[in-house]
Amino acid sequence: MAWAEQIVQGLKDAGVSLAAYVPDGVTWRVLRLMEQDPFFHMIPTTREEEAVGIISGAYAAGQRGAVFMQSSGFGNTVNALATLNIPYRIPFVWFIGMRGGPGEFNLAQVPGARAIPGILDALGLQYFHLTREDELDRTLSGVIALTYAGRLPVANLLSTLMTGGRDAPR
Amino acid sequence: MLRVDAIRAVLDRVGGAPIVSNLGGTTFHLHNLDDRDANLYMWGAMGLTSSVGLGIALAAPDRKIVVMDGDGSLLMNLGSLGTIARQSPANLVHIVWDNHQWAGTGGQPTHTAVVTDLAAVARGSGIPKVAAVSTLEALEEAFDQAMREDGPWCIIADVEGSDNPDRPDVSIEENLQRFRRTFDRPAAR
Ligand SMILES: Cc1ncc(C[n+]2csc(CCOP(=O)(O)OP(=O)(O)O)c2C)c(N)n1
Repeated sequence: MAWAEQIVQGLKDAGVSLAAYVPDGVTWRVLRLMEQDPFFHMIPTTREEEAVGIISGAYAAGQRGAVFMQSSGFGNTVNALATLNIPYRIPFVWFIGMRGGPGEFNLAQVPGARAIPGILDALGLQYFHLTREDELDRTLSGVIALTYAGRLPVANLLSTLMTGGRDAPR
Repeated sequence: MLRVDAIRAVLDRVGGAPIVSNLGGTTFHLHNLDDRDANLYMWGAMGLTSSVGLGIALAAPDRKIVVMDGDGSLLMNLGSLGTIARQSPANLVHIVWDNHQWAGTGGQPTHTAVVTDLAAVARGSGIPKVAAVSTLEALEEAFDQAMREDGPWCIIADVEGSDNPDRPDVSIEENLQRFRRTFDRPAAR
């Protein structure tokens, strides 16, 4: 299975049926499959922090959810992570379509993406770089298990080495 | 209308419905008036009170969900109104205690004290049921209707600014776990 299909399957296997997002070219390759699949309830949002808030609320009512964003939107989530997810221990399955790495053409994408590991380290949150399609399903099921066992969000950083980036053939 | 009286009026009518409360004074009042299991208190997450409420409403479509927001908080996340309208959860009752100030930081006037009409913003965002109330009687009437009829509802309640509730002692983690147990699907773990 291609990486996008593997993510869809991984979410289904883990019973993660809600997904909130601000779109980007990379994660849209997953989201467009989910938009067509009645298993999922999709929530387009105006800002990444809103997406985190919504999925956190769903967890408070007993439902699992995922949040999708571009690396440029990561910075918009920091207050939610610091004042909601970490103190209350609210997990969500988290996908970040990485820009600013190999293949990047837009200088404005670079600083924010480069800062993600450092900010997550400072917050004490874990993250994994997903770089290989052939290891994805194993990594992903492990990260989802970790997310709910640890009751904290764990970031799946979708590398251009795996996704081909924004300009990959769709 | 004093916010504390308005919160008491809602508590008198809310039954067992979950309530999410905005950081600061609203959380403090709600806790001090009635520390119900079905209260989820925000202590930060400024702007996200309505988003958290939306997530609960989507996850528990069979129950009415009440949000007690603040004008400062909602102004920080106006896109939330459009997201709520687009999702259109019939079970969401979003109340905004519009005291026209950032009370938690000293009472500085917010935009609603000067130019912004949140009911108009809610309507313009596509919320189908919007009520603007400025008396206790009107609030009670609008809230009763919102609990009876499909929404999503947004009730903008004009309240007086100056109240200074005592800060309660709450364990945030325990609050979440207690709240989760009021839903019959604690499966998410
Ligand atoms: C992201 C963020 N910015 C600023 C603050 C500081 N702050 C705490 S309470 C508050 C005012 C909130 O206003 P409102 O939602 O209207 O509620 P009120 O204080 O009036 O009850 C502010 C600005 C904060 N806690 N978080």
